[in-house]
Amino acid sequence: MSAPTPLAWKNLTHDPRKLMIAISGIGFAVLLMFQQRGFRHALFDSTVAVVHELDAHLIIFHQNRFALSSEVRFDRSVLDVAASTPGVAAANPVYMENQLARFRAPENKARPIRVVAFDIGKNVLVKSSVEIALQLPSLRDPGTALMDRLSKQNFGVDFTAVQPDGSFRNQSAELSGKQLDVVGTFLLGRDFAHDGTLVMSSNNFARYFGYRGADPLTIVDLGAIRLLPGQSIKTVKANLRRQLGPQVTVLTKQQFVNKEIDFWARNTPIGVIFAIGATMGFVVGIIICYQVLANDITEHIGEFATLKAMGYSNAYFFALVVRQSLYLALLGFVPGLICSWLLFQVNTSFTGLLMNLSWDRALFVMVLTIVMCILSGLLALRKLLAADPASLF
Amino acid sequence: MINEDIDIDQLIAAWAPQPHELSVNVDGVNHSYGEGDLRKQVLFNNRLKIRRGEIVIMTGPSGSGKTTLLTLIGTLRSVQEGSLKVLGTELKGINARATTDLRKRTGFIFQAHNLFESLSAFQNVGMSTELMGMKHTHAKPKIEATLQRLGLGQRIHYKPKSLSGGQKQRVAIARGIIHQPDLILADEPTAALDAGSGREVVTIFQEMAREHGCTILIVTHDNRILDVADRIVNMVDGSIHSNVLVQWNSAMCQILNDFPVFRGLTPSAISQVADMMELKRYSPGAQIIRQGAIGDEFFVIGKGVVDVIVDGETVNTLVDGAFFGEVSLIKEQPRNATVIAKSDVSCFVLSKDEFQAVVESNSTFEEELRKAIFMRQ
Repeated sequence: MSAPTPLAWKNLTHDPRKLMIAISGIGFAVLLMFQQRGFRHALFDSTVAVVHELDAHLIIFHQNRFALSSEVRFDRSVLDVAASTPGVAAANPVYMENQLARFRAPENKARPIRVVAFDIGKNVLVKSSVEIALQLPSLRDPGTALMDRLSKQNFGVDFTAVQPDGSFRNQSAELSGKQLDVVGTFLLGRDFAHDGTLVMSSNNFARYFGYRGADPLTIVDLGAIRLLPGQSIKTVKANLRRQLGPQVTVLTKQQFVNKEIDFWARNTPIGVIFAIGATMGFVVGIIICYQVLANDITEHIGEFATLKAMGYSNAYFFALVVRQSLYLALLGFVPGLICSWLLFQVNTSFTGLLMNLSWDRALFVMVLTIVMCILSGLLALRKLLAADPASLF
Repeated sequence: MINEDIDIDQLIAAWAPQPHELSVNVDGVNHSYGEGDLRKQVLFNNRLKIRRGEIVIMTGPSGSGKTTLLTLIGTLRSVQEGSLKVLGTELKGINARATTDLRKRTGFIFQAHNLFESLSAFQNVGMSTELMGMKHTHAKPKIEATLQRLGLGQRIHYKPKSLSGGQKQRVAIARGIIHQPDLILADEPTAALDAGSGREVVTIFQEMAREHGCTILIVTHDNRILDVADRIVNMVDGSIHSNVLVQWNSAMCQILNDFPVFRGLTPSAISQVADMMELKRYSPGAQIIRQGAIGDEFFVIGKGVVDVIVDGETVNTLVDGAFFGEVSLIKEQPRNATVIAKSDVSCFVLSKDEFQAVVESNSTFEEELRKAIFMRQ
């Protein structure tokens, strides 16, 4: 059979005004889904961004630390045991403080900030963040820190301030009541629990957070384990578990990321809220798409009944409606995608949340859109199948 | 004796078609709408045989059930009671697949044109050829030629929006006939058309019937096209009130006109009597009438040879066009001879009771004249 008359396409595009309305409706649903999923992803991405930055194969943390922000810590001696475990190249401490760290720029209020610290010699952030690696020398000085450029503006730090030679102009501030110089910036992004992040050396960290113990550096938040070349992560992980006992948990970096996301998705209302938001977008899309398709069918019920009388089978009508749904989905998806991308840029600049529009996420929303349109197509199909050719005479 | 223009063989064939010649065979079909107390019967025990290639015009007041019968024949409604065979397929209890197969062999022309606004005239007609799996290269010249013939040559690629009502109707007709269906069911196909294009449409119908043996059933009130009908069926109150094979009727009228007995009848009464004429067939040696029996039938020999025997002696031999038994139409008398078929004999037979019923039910010539004058005012 030669290329048949593209009835689905013709019917859809016959009235440009109606088509525009249909496309904007579906585009809106697409936008809604993208936004809600974008926020949800932003929540997760931002939360685990710091984990992604860690140069580690395995991560050790206290068994009761249910989330990054929960601040249950373990003794540094555990890392010494870990370091001597076969297959381990290094076991580096990561210090974090976010409940009690308060940052105050001159003429600003004190605000809570997250502080991440590590031993300068045993750098755990260098590998992924070249920017931090380049600025390591200046972190050796006492009372210095780097600040995340995406930290909230109301901290009062001007991240664009430069000296005449173009390098960052140091800015003085206070951290937990002590003098602090912000000597540079890096890029991480904030999340729902943290408005900003400082990175500093563990020596400086000890100065500011003396209350953590006689030697503040004996209590660590995370252990970043790097393996010797050619070692199996699985084997080393099992070794560590045996050696370290039940007080700490050992997970691969990805497992740790998943656990953190799982916590936010399941145990906080935030994950649920965005899931509901995305579902709403989906439902709105179904309703809009159904309206478009059902209207088209109602308006052409006589023509469709004629096709039935001519001998067109239900399979044809099924294919017709599915095709029409597919066209609607794709036509609505493209503008929805473009608008979402633009809105993501705006969101990121306003909120500092990481709004990434990756291919796989776009693809996921596209699949959702197609499912959405085909579902409503199948709902509308019932109307078409009920068309009675006997009513034509 | 019988007019030479009348093709006796064709008449005999038309009278009793062989089962395989039938396109449509409606047998004892009843149909009702609604359920329970609201159930209303609209078709009552209908019988109708339509031969392949026949053009049937169905008339009758609205609500007489002709549309219901049409939709039943077109498989658009399911048969409730009785038997309905279309193109060799029994429709009672037919499955979905056979239904679509049958619909593909049928061309529907609806009163509403139902063209897709989004498709051009060409594409609308193409929906039909595509369904048949016809190649585009093969279908294209056909569609163009058909639209051209229907006077739409300049508007082949126009959308329905830019076509007049009559033009749209002609596109719909093209869509209904383009795939060379074996059966065309049309509902007032010419209602929206001017005389010229209406005539072109029925001419196309005639060609399809003659050349391709397409059977055509038209529901219409358009008396401009009555002349193409091979059969005129009139429905009243859910049953077929009259079913006239036009060719048979006119042939019988001509035959009857030549007999003095019928001279007092008006043309419409003659036509009614002609409708009562039946075909009877006898094999060689069969006794058609017996001397001494009470006769009540009048015979015209259509084809064949008979011997007339009086008191055991053959007194005469009759051939095509001869008649006997005419006296019995008026008087009740015993037959004065025996007639025996010598070859295969086909006779046109009129029974006395039916003849007299027509005569009595008909007004006299004078009465008819008065009526005609009255109507003229």
